[in-house]
Amino acid sequence: MAERKKEIERSAEEIVESFARAAEGLPKLKETYYNQETCNVSRPDGEPSSEEERTEFRKRFISIMPGSDEKGNLRVEVAKWVEER
Amino acid sequence: MGRGTIEKLGAIQQGELSATENVQQALDRIKKLDKKIKAFIELNPNALAEAEAVDCKLKRGEHMGKLAGLTIGIKSNINVKGLRATCASRTLENYVSPYDAEVIRRVRDAGGIIVGMNNMDEFACGSSGETSSFGPTDNPVAPGHIPGGSSSGSAAAIAAGMCDICLGTDTGGAIRNPASHCGVVGIRPTQGLVPAHGLIELAVSFDQIGPLAPDVYGAALMLETIAGHNPKECTSLDSPSVNYSDKLGIGIENIRVGTSSKFSELTDSAVMGVIDGAVEKLHDLGAEVVEVELPNLEKSLSAYYVIMFAEFFSATRKFDGRKYGRRIEEVCGDEVLRRITCGDYISRKDQHDRHYKRALQVRTLMRREFGEALNKVDVIVGPTVPKLPHQLGTKLSPAEMYAYDYLTSPINLAGICAGTVKAGEASGIPVGLQVQGKVLGEETVLRVMRALEAVK
Repeated sequence: MAERKKEIERSAEEIVESFARAAEGLPKLKETYYNQETCNVSRPDGEPSSEEERTEFRKRFISIMPGSDEKGNLRVEVAKWVEER
Repeated sequence: MGRGTIEKLGAIQQGELSATENVQQALDRIKKLDKKIKAFIELNPNALAEAEAVDCKLKRGEHMGKLAGLTIGIKSNINVKGLRATCASRTLENYVSPYDAEVIRRVRDAGGIIVGMNNMDEFACGSSGETSSFGPTDNPVAPGHIPGGSSSGSAAAIAAGMCDICLGTDTGGAIRNPASHCGVVGIRPTQGLVPAHGLIELAVSFDQIGPLAPDVYGAALMLETIAGHNPKECTSLDSPSVNYSDKLGIGIENIRVGTSSKFSELTDSAVMGVIDGAVEKLHDLGAEVVEVELPNLEKSLSAYYVIMFAEFFSATRKFDGRKYGRRIEEVCGDEVLRRITCGDYISRKDQHDRHYKRALQVRTLMRREFGEALNKVDVIVGPTVPKLPHQLGTKLSPAEMYAYDYLTSPINLAGICAGTVKAGEASGIPVGLQVQGKVLGEETVLRVMRALEAVK
C-alpha cells in the first residue's frame, strides 16, 4: 500500500512537471476560469419542494448513511486521516 | 444494431411495437450479451412497469413526449432516483440516488424508459473503459479491444443494440472517444447547454452531459430533449430551445468545412486515411473544404489535464466516507489516486501559479485560436482519436493513455460543441469523424454528421 502510494506520488510529480514544460514559450494571457462569461449567480430561490418530497428525500438519504442514531441523525467520528494532514 | 431510431419510434407510435415489448427485448439482449461486454452496472427493476405505464398512455391517445417507449441507458455518474450512482467506484458502490438529475427528469417527461446504469471508467478517470471497479467493458464491434472511455458502457450498449439511446458525459472526450471506437454517434454539447444538476463531477468547468445513439437522428432527438436553461444552475446557458431533429436533412451545400494539417501530424496514418476519405465525401456533397490554422493544438492536452487534476482533487474532497460511501483514497484504483495526487500537488500554494494559472492562460489561447478558425468556417472536421483502440489489458504508461485525448480535449478547453460519427473502418475497427462547431452550433454540426451518415 505504502509502495503503491509512493510510486503514484512519483509518477504524479513527473506528469505535472512534464505538462509544465509543454506550456513553455506560450504567450501569457488573461486566465479563463470558466468558458461562460455570464454566470447566473443571482438566480431566484424558486419554490421549496413539498413536505412529502422532503420527507422522502430524508428517508432515502438516511438509508445510505454509514452511521445514524435512533432519531435518524448522522453519526460521524473524526476521521483518522485528519491528524495526518 | 437493428432498425434506426426514427423507424423504431414510428413502430411504437403506430402500435406495431409496444414500449413493453421494446423494454423486454432490451432486457433479453442485455441478459444474453452483458456477461461478456459489461456495459451495465445495474438494471432498473421498474423498467417493465414504467413501459406498461407508457403503453397505457399511448393506448388512451394521450400526448407523449419525443422519447416515448425508447429504452435509455444512463452513465453511472448521473443521479437516477432509486438506482445506484456508483461512478464505477468502490467509493460509491452502495450510493443509491435519493433524487433525479435534471436531465433524468426531462428524459422521464419525454417518455424515455431508463433500463439501467452504464459502466464507465472509475470517476470518469480514463479513456479506455478499463479502470472501472466493476471490470473493463469490451468493444462489441471490435471484440478484445477497448471500447474507449470514459462513457465506455454507454457506447458499448448502443453498439451491441442493448438499448436505444444513452446519456454519457464528456470532460475531455469521454463521449466522442468511445463513440469513435464503437462506431456509434456521440455529441458533446456546448458548455452550459445541458443542465449539469445531478451529475457527479470530474471537472466542473469541462463536464457536459450528452447523448450516444446508433444514428444522428437518435442523438439529435435526445439532445433536444435534455438541452435548455435550468434556472437553478448558475452556469446554465439561457439559450432558446432548438429542434435539431427536424433540420437534419437540409444538406450541406455551401457549408464551409475547415481542416487542419495539425490533425495529420498528431494522428496515425491508418486513422488519417479514413478521415481524408470522409472529408472527400463532404466535398462531394457540396461543402467547401478550406484549411484553417490551429497552431497550438497539441498544447491543449497538458493544460486540460492540469485544470482537470485541480478540479477533480477539489471535487473528491467530499468523498470522506462520513455522510455516504467510503473514503475515496482508501478504495479507489490507481488512476483515480494518481489524478487526486496530481491535483493535490498542483493546488499547493507554491505550485498554484506555475501550473494551474498557466493552464488557465493556455485555455484562453485555445478559445482564441478556435474562435478565429471558426470565424472563417462553419465547422472544423478531423479525427476524433489519433490512434486505433488497444487490446484490452495492454499495459500503457499514463502519458500513452492520456494521448488518446489529444484531439478531443481542445474542444472542452474552448467550451465549444463537437460530435462524432462513423467515417469508416481501419483494420476492421471503426474510426469516427469529429465535427467541431461554434458555441451553440449543434444544429450545423448535426447536419454535417447526418450528411456523412446518409452517404454510407
